[in-house]
Amino acid sequence: MSDSIRDRLKAPAGHGEQAGGGDTSRSDVTSGDFVQTDSRSAHGPGQTIPSPSATQAGDGGTGLVGGGHLSDDPKRAKRAEQAVAALFLLSLVGVIGFCVTFAAWPYEFGERYFELYTPLLGIFMTLSLLGIGAGAVLWAKTLMVDEETVQMRHQLSSDPKDREATAELLKKGFEETGLPRRTLLRNSLLLGAGSLAILPVPFLFGFGRFQHKERVLAKTGWKAGSRLLDELGRPVKMGDLEIGGAKTVFPDVPGGRRLADSAAFIIRMRPDELKVKEDRKNWSIDGHIVYSVICTHLGCPVKLYEQQTHHLFCPCHQSTFDAADEAKVLFGPAARNLPQLAISVDADGYFVARGDFNEPVGPSYWERKPHYSEPKYNAEAGS
Amino acid sequence: MATAVEKGASGAAVWVDDRLGSSNFIKRSLNKVFPDHWSFMLGEIALYSFIVLLLSGTYLTLFFEGSSREVIYHGAYTPLKGIPMSAAYESTLRISFEVRGGLIMRQIHHWAALLFMASIVVHLMRVFFTGAFRKPRELNWLLGVGLLVLGILEGFAGYSLPDDLLSGTGLRIAYSIALSIPVIGTWAAFLVFGGEYPGGEIIERLYPIHILLVPGIILGLITAHLALVWYQKHTQFAGPGRTEDTVIGSKVYPAYGAKAGGFFFLVFGVLTLLGGLAQINPIWLYGPYDPSQVSAGSQPDWYVGFLDGSTRLMPNWELRFWDYTFSPNVLLPTQVLPGILFGLLALYPFLEAKLTRDRAYHNLLDRPRDKPVRTALGAMSITFYLILLIAGGNDIVASIFHLSINEITYTLRAGLFILPPLVYVATKRFCLSLQRADDELLHHGIESGTIRRLPSGEFVEETVPLPPQYSVLLATTPERKELTSHGAHGDHPAATPAPRGFFRPRGGVIEPAPEKAPDGKELEGTVD
Repeated sequence: MSDSIRDRLKAPAGHGEQAGGGDTSRSDVTSGDFVQTDSRSAHGPGQTIPSPSATQAGDGGTGLVGGGHLSDDPKRAKRAEQAVAALFLLSLVGVIGFCVTFAAWPYEFGERYFELYTPLLGIFMTLSLLGIGAGAVLWAKTLMVDEETVQMRHQLSSDPKDREATAELLKKGFEETGLPRRTLLRNSLLLGAGSLAILPVPFLFGFGRFQHKERVLAKTGWKAGSRLLDELGRPVKMGDLEIGGAKTVFPDVPGGRRLADSAAFIIRMRPDELKVKEDRKNWSIDGHIVYSVICTHLGCPVKLYEQQTHHLFCPCHQSTFDAADEAKVLFGPAARNLPQLAISVDADGYFVARGDFNEPVGPSYWERKPHYSEPKYNAEAGS
Repeated sequence: MATAVEKGASGAAVWVDDRLGSSNFIKRSLNKVFPDHWSFMLGEIALYSFIVLLLSGTYLTLFFEGSSREVIYHGAYTPLKGIPMSAAYESTLRISFEVRGGLIMRQIHHWAALLFMASIVVHLMRVFFTGAFRKPRELNWLLGVGLLVLGILEGFAGYSLPDDLLSGTGLRIAYSIALSIPVIGTWAAFLVFGGEYPGGEIIERLYPIHILLVPGIILGLITAHLALVWYQKHTQFAGPGRTEDTVIGSKVYPAYGAKAGGFFFLVFGVLTLLGGLAQINPIWLYGPYDPSQVSAGSQPDWYVGFLDGSTRLMPNWELRFWDYTFSPNVLLPTQVLPGILFGLLALYPFLEAKLTRDRAYHNLLDRPRDKPVRTALGAMSITFYLILLIAGGNDIVASIFHLSINEITYTLRAGLFILPPLVYVATKRFCLSLQRADDELLHHGIESGTIRRLPSGEFVEETVPLPPQYSVLLATTPERKELTSHGAHGDHPAATPAPRGFFRPRGGVIEPAPEKAPDGKELEGTVD
């Protein structure tokens, strides 16, 4: 800012008059421009500071805070008054327009021109508000006398004597209660009143149902033999998916579509693209593999599937999982693989789960044990 | 007629005064002086946005149903007909498409919330960089930090209420964050949500929190905040006649009041314009919440963005010991980090006072350059915050600039630790050189553009002493006060009013008094 000051100072003379609002700007200063107004002040009344107009010649820095420039130029004052009045009347126009639009314009979805309802309301409402607002500001800046005034700050801290007196008063009152002497009274009060702090605690128990946290968090709706239903509730069977295809599936249980922890993603890729380890050999069938869609980071559905790379991508915090390799974490803040759902095919050719996911789904929690619900698949299941 | 009005008014005033003795109070209040500076209106914007929030929010409560009860949609919006959804989402659709003035109120409410938070943050920066938080105003700083945090919570609660796909995803993240708290995480999460996610009660609980509890507390804190400003009187920048013991400005009544009142309507008007013309949060495009669905580019509202960013930048650390799981990858960026940031923010006035051993009252504001360390700390913090904010939109950045999201994340991760110290050093140097420039102005005056040749043949440029109404602005240190008190043309600085202006002094360019060379030889040439 120093540069700006410097620039201003270097600029040719003459701008000053324009910038300051011309030669009319001084004479509104009434007598005693700097007035002591705060009667509570500790500094005694009546202090004034010399009028600025006495020492300042020239431009607009006259002690006026921006107002009152025009009040002694009848022509310009008149113009200003007209401008303010026009703005105030604009509000009237806005209000009328708003009322008419509000009541008469079609507003329900699908009605003709309904999409203009909100913009029109906005425009009229804005006119009504900006009219009053801009009018008031212009009024204050042009027509109101606005003197720069000095006010003394009062001392914030109390007089030391008052402080002492107050402390004395508190101490005396406290002694009068008898608390310092009567220890039985004091201790029973502390215990009794202190116990009130416990009073709200039982209410907390009403907030959450008692649930076996580990079981609730570790289990989902999948059971051995559950068919995999797609979003429309149709069971998915072998051949429904092309290679490279993927589908969100839900367990075949009542309300399975709405279970927040059970949604899964079935993906089909070429069997040779899938890296299957010995211990998960029976968990996928012919390149069909199923993972939980619930991100192991913060629980968003991991549903952006890139078929070329077999990457599963979470849109919330960009954790990336490798669907071809046990949904291992490739990138991002997630720490664990997406849990896998072992599947097989039932007698009618439909996919069925062979149990629950191999790990608790979703984000981590304190009591989470990696293998709480270690599925005990038996080799013959589903065959 | 005027007399009738006057008569009525004075009659009413007498009636009230007979009962309350209010005249003295009113007289004192109307005569109260407020200093004027453009930066003082930032807090006003926050206040006015809050009033707009109360007004628009009240209208919305009349139509909104805060319930997660499942209904089948049969409303006017045809694309969603027959789809199961929560009553909260359905009533939000009804407000948008079947209630007169409903959509504009929703959009005004949302825009006002964004502006509320934005103006709080900018106001906070103003208060920080000018040192307005110093004694005796530390309590008001604490109230302000409380308002900032409550504003974030209130905004998040409101954002979650419509139960659309975007906000439901946000709620699930909030639930998962609660789960990550060591030892009590599952208890806390189940307590708040009423059971395993979604729990079925969170909308019912957020609704009274959003429309009653938190706004009530915010209203109380704002009242206290303003009362303290009123009682302790506003700070002001240095200037002619402005000392630690004075306030110079306009009286509340009438001009200042008219301007402030008008400004309320201007803020309101801008918000109605945005609400009418700029679509925001079109929840009907996102669809109802479904735990198995998500849309690409999920973004929270901007004031939560920095926490989303820290979560995205965090490496995937997770520890297991015995039978327990500990998740720094969630805990650090979402709970520890904001705890530290807001804690430092709240404590800053006390830390600064302690470290600088400053126990004095401060009613005059600092120019940021005069406190290089504080200014540099502020710039450093803003850099840190901005990197987190950018990281919160790293997927958007990646898709706009066709960059790899992994590389952006790695770069920002490094930047988070490298850039803030660099910015600290640069800002500090910058402040010091600005100070030097000020010193030069005070010591040597203004270059007049007049070149004089000395008898020895040497050319020198004339300088003119800085006029007192400017030098007093720079007199921010004891040494400089010393400088300006001499040689200021014999005028008392108080006798000349402060140059005024929006970003720079206005009210006329000071014409340097042309000083004749001592020997009267005004020599060849004025260099332009």
